[in-house]
Amino acid sequence: MKILVCVKQVPEPEGIAVNRDAHGMAKLETFGRFAMNRFDEFAVEQAINIKESLPDVHIQGITVGPDRADQVLKRAVGMGCDEGIHLLTPTEIDQGPAAVAAWISQIGSEKYDLILCGTMSEDTMNGQVGPMAAALMDLPYATQVIGMQLTRDLSHVTIEREIEGGAREMVRLPLPALLALQPGINRPRYPSLSNLLRANQKVFETISTDTLATVTTEIDCLGFVLPVHARPAQLLTGSAKEKAEQVAGLLKARALI
Amino acid sequence: MDDPVDIMLVAHCLKGRIDPVTYDLIAFGRKLQELGAGPMGLWLLGSHLEGAAQDLADRGGLRVTAVQGERVSDYVNDAFCAVIAQEIEAVHPAFVCTAHTSRGWEWAPSLAARMGAGCVCGVDGLVEFQGRLCFQKDLYGGKVKGLYAANSATTVITVQPGVFKFKPSAEAPTAAAVTLKSAAAPLGQTLYLGCKQAETDTTHITSAPIIVAVGNGIGDRENMKLIHGLAQLLPHAEVAGSRIICDRGWLEYSRQVGITGTTVSPALYLACGISGASQHVMGMRGAKFVIAINTDTSAPMFNETDICIVEDIVSFIPLLEDALRQIAKRNP
Repeated sequence: MKILVCVKQVPEPEGIAVNRDAHGMAKLETFGRFAMNRFDEFAVEQAINIKESLPDVHIQGITVGPDRADQVLKRAVGMGCDEGIHLLTPTEIDQGPAAVAAWISQIGSEKYDLILCGTMSEDTMNGQVGPMAAALMDLPYATQVIGMQLTRDLSHVTIEREIEGGAREMVRLPLPALLALQPGINRPRYPSLSNLLRANQKVFETISTDTLATVTTEIDCLGFVLPVHARPAQLLTGSAKEKAEQVAGLLKARALI
Repeated sequence: MDDPVDIMLVAHCLKGRIDPVTYDLIAFGRKLQELGAGPMGLWLLGSHLEGAAQDLADRGGLRVTAVQGERVSDYVNDAFCAVIAQEIEAVHPAFVCTAHTSRGWEWAPSLAARMGAGCVCGVDGLVEFQGRLCFQKDLYGGKVKGLYAANSATTVITVQPGVFKFKPSAEAPTAAAVTLKSAAAPLGQTLYLGCKQAETDTTHITSAPIIVAVGNGIGDRENMKLIHGLAQLLPHAEVAGSRIICDRGWLEYSRQVGITGTTVSPALYLACGISGASQHVMGMRGAKFVIAINTDTSAPMFNETDICIVEDIVSFIPLLEDALRQIAKRNP
């Protein structure tokens, strides 16, 4: 069985700052601290779980991004993936889900029994690459997958997908299929030292996205704005101890204690 | 030949029950019209649709096309896409809009990719910017919002529930016609097996007057005892958490607040180290009074908060406990 796992390198949550510019728009600053998208860790872990429970499973990680993005492939191999493919973009700019899905589908089509990805990325939060890539490869797919069971003959997968209020719907798909996994489906492991050493030796297959079929960008990002306050958002000042006393006083005044 | 529409709203209707998010969608469509979009129609997919379709046509004052059939009565993503793609071919909408739910978010991007349409998911605002119609959505867990404009002839949008508020139209609905169709969804290989409701009992957090909620800012599992200790000092308080805490197994899922968890509306919601992604915030917006403690001044949680405290919860909670004990001592 061949599995492709899609992983994205994203700024760490603490690695970005948001400020207001002179025109009242939001300005984003990143500090060069990147990590594997947390949601993708569940996809990597799931692939490794399958490899540990079945014979002859081969896992390839794939990422789209600039030079630095090969770090997430190292982490994926460190966790237990066999190989990595780096679709190298010429710029730092996020290319958007339609382009990423188109590139992955050009690599992934007809080569894998199972394609796994996370439910969305922490940075752009689109959650579109999975369903878009599935459509372009004409594969059955499911998103928000919180449980999965392969049939014994590996012809189908029965999944549970999480819907609103914690309910779950059950769906059966023939393989090959693409699944976007919900956090909580497993507990992602940390990379092992021996795997990390192996990952450091690895030269990943690198394919420039310039050599792949181009995709017209249908969506332009024109700028960023700060969220508006839905509530008063009164900021307490003083020392930590003074703030704690203010909170206790507020709770007393509101008869909450 | 169907009349062309500019805005195609798509909703699922199970066994004749109108999903409340359908009204949010109509409100979103009206806002699009205020910004210059043309005629709007609602496509309802599901089963036992006659009554629901007429209700929506009357209350919403818009054309409703009810599409029924075996593979759309339950939700199967390939059948949904196939049926909607056929309807799009007939009416050529500029905007195809559905709710940003587990299902809408699943089929919408796939439909867009099949059609070469642009797609924006999780839209929570509509603005004009630089002379273009922009869809606004969360980025970076809601710390900031992006403004997106489409170049495509058709754009597929998923709309955050609970943002656009529906008001019944004051004027009498104008020729709110209902069309019934049967779905010609091709037989796909994806099989719907059924749905099971959440089995966990969540009454402990839905009925609690005070909720001490914990998020990623707690750091180590060891620190969870601070949260439990604080909850013990507050009358009838219960501990709840964000998804990430439950995913780690630090709290049971029955204590998860959010879209995929439980919706709560306590008198006090004390958010400790919660960043405030919309998936969480949707579950606690009904709280009467919200206090948030977080080290990150740009945490979106602070936008949903009455009182903001920029501190590390691990060092702050012991101070808060001291202050609460002092007050209890003074007012026995």
